[in-house]
Amino acid sequence: MANNNPLAETTFVQSGDTRRSAKISRETISAIAVAVLCVVLLLGARFVSPSLGSWSQVETVLILGSFLVVLSFGQGLVILSGGLDLSLPAMITLGGILATNWIGSSDPGAWYLLPIVLLVCAGVGFLTALGIVILRVPPFIMSLAMSIIVSSALLGYTKGTPRGAAPEMAIALMKGSVFGLPAPILFTIGFVILGWLIQSRSIFGRYLYAIGTNVEAARIAGVPVFTAQVLPYVLSATCAGLVGIMLVGYSNGATLRMGDDYLLPSIAAVVIGGSSILGGRGTFLGTVGGALLLTTLGTIISAIGLEFGLRTIIEGAIVLTALLLLREELFQKLGSLWK
Amino acid sequence: MSEVLPNEASTSPAPVMGSLLRQLTQGAGLIVILYVALYAIYGYLQPRALEPYAIAALMNNTAPLALAAAGQTFVVLSRGFDLSLAGVISICNVTLAVVPIEGPGGAALSVLLCLAIGASVGAVNGFLVAYLRLQSIAATLATMIICQGIALVILNAPGGFVAEWIVYEMTDRLWGLVPVSGLVVLSVVALWLMLRRTDFGVAIYAVGADEQAASLSGVNVRRVRFGAFVGAGLLYGLAGFMLSAQTATGNPNSGTPLLLLTFAAVALGGTSLAGGRGGLFASVIGAATLTLLQKVLFSTGVSSFYTGIFQGAVLILAVVFSTAISRIGEEK
Repeated sequence: MANNNPLAETTFVQSGDTRRSAKISRETISAIAVAVLCVVLLLGARFVSPSLGSWSQVETVLILGSFLVVLSFGQGLVILSGGLDLSLPAMITLGGILATNWIGSSDPGAWYLLPIVLLVCAGVGFLTALGIVILRVPPFIMSLAMSIIVSSALLGYTKGTPRGAAPEMAIALMKGSVFGLPAPILFTIGFVILGWLIQSRSIFGRYLYAIGTNVEAARIAGVPVFTAQVLPYVLSATCAGLVGIMLVGYSNGATLRMGDDYLLPSIAAVVIGGSSILGGRGTFLGTVGGALLLTTLGTIISAIGLEFGLRTIIEGAIVLTALLLLREELFQKLGSLWK
Repeated sequence: MSEVLPNEASTSPAPVMGSLLRQLTQGAGLIVILYVALYAIYGYLQPRALEPYAIAALMNNTAPLALAAAGQTFVVLSRGFDLSLAGVISICNVTLAVVPIEGPGGAALSVLLCLAIGASVGAVNGFLVAYLRLQSIAATLATMIICQGIALVILNAPGGFVAEWIVYEMTDRLWGLVPVSGLVVLSVVALWLMLRRTDFGVAIYAVGADEQAASLSGVNVRRVRFGAFVGAGLLYGLAGFMLSAQTATGNPNSGTPLLLLTFAAVALGGTSLAGGRGGLFASVIGAATLTLLQKVLFSTGVSSFYTGIFQGAVLILAVVFSTAISRIGEEK
């Protein structure tokens, strides 16, 4: 399959021993490990600086983490189905710029345009998916090409300087509070539950695991392969557009580079959360843990005051470590030691 | 085995009619024709484009992308993807801007420094992919992030000056006619044409086409993969050197814009992204075509805002087209 080519180098992995218990424990273990690491980091941060590790910092991490949680849900679905979505930065910017340009702050009655903004993002995601599924362009090339096409179109559309202010809906979502709890945290909790239901409890989710493991086998087994391959990209683009709207609500405006810093973390969150970059394995709860862990690390590192370059190096090292730890062979070796 | 071997138009003897199609599908023939046609349009739009000065300027613009695309070809041929070039080129660029060494000796030292940087990162990539069996996209994504961080640590904002000798001599023309940057690219192509005939050159194609078959035929797959990444790294180092000569200043993000374009250049050159088929010369011409396309768009008055739309569209079309044409070639 052409769309599997970039990810097909190390697919000679044996999956002979697929005892159910072993499979479940592997994913659960990495999800739990990530969650525990998060808490340890937050508590341990108290030793670095007393202002860290407080409830207000937990709140900050949850609010900042909400962007990454929503974003990496879409990225996670794409990776699960055996692809990769590199168009997220452009889609975030698309959502943000359309929200400020079409809606702005002047007309609170124009809230109905928000779903339309998301629909536009979904449409672009659909085009990306068509290129991958029908034209057989490798996923990372197609999404990268779509990314520069959308960025370039936005650059021309805004003439280089985005105008407009954040819509009130977006501000209410990111800055408001319900029953004394910050609205973005409640929203994230709702989103996580919904995402978990979609990925782990729906038929669509099962289809993704099936095509991510083996497209041909899934086709023979009667999985609607076309729909299952296209929908992840549509959902991923929609999630990215939503993140754009959230970012606009959070920072009161859009910039042309607002999405740039989110691509690598979105992939890193999925990988750290225990998903296979090859597709077919991983849980959304693990990804949520990965996203929160990355955000926690980010806030702690910036609180310590490390310069941007060192932060980038640490980020890369974390991704590399996660990749090395999640290697197939390592788990097989551990499994054989167990026996 | 002979089917996976390259058949580049530039080196093969006079083509027999029967192999003409294969010349087009597997060699650089198609992309060379495209390049010449585009250059004719450019010459028509800008009559001054054919003067030595304009040609040298175009070569100087082309060289960094052409060298980076040549490096990418190594990895793609052996069935992999290399994202680390964005980081390697950035590190080389900021290093040359922070530590300018004057004079011809300094330039030689600088080239060696860039090659060493490229080879080290390439060796890390090769180790991760060939020996630890990580996914090439994922592994090089991680090394790219780390390298970008290192570049930021060396120089955290655009600035600095590249040694004047490098800036002037590497972008100059020999005898007022032959651009030095063109010669650098040409010598890389010549080296490749020699390398291609060696065991290592053949093994790269074999590994890319069918890893298991290559392994069974006695090819040391790991060593070949490792070598491909190191070779790619060396070329990225050279690309970083030539980019610094052209921009004359340092920028910790200077390599990033080249990343996507190398894939576009490789795909335009007809090298299969699934590995095992294509060639370095075709990628170099592919890179030249992309650079020329920007010039042509500019001279037709398209706003530079929209350059990305054309680049993205060309990339998608190139991949679709090269997949389709290689499928025709296989059926033949």
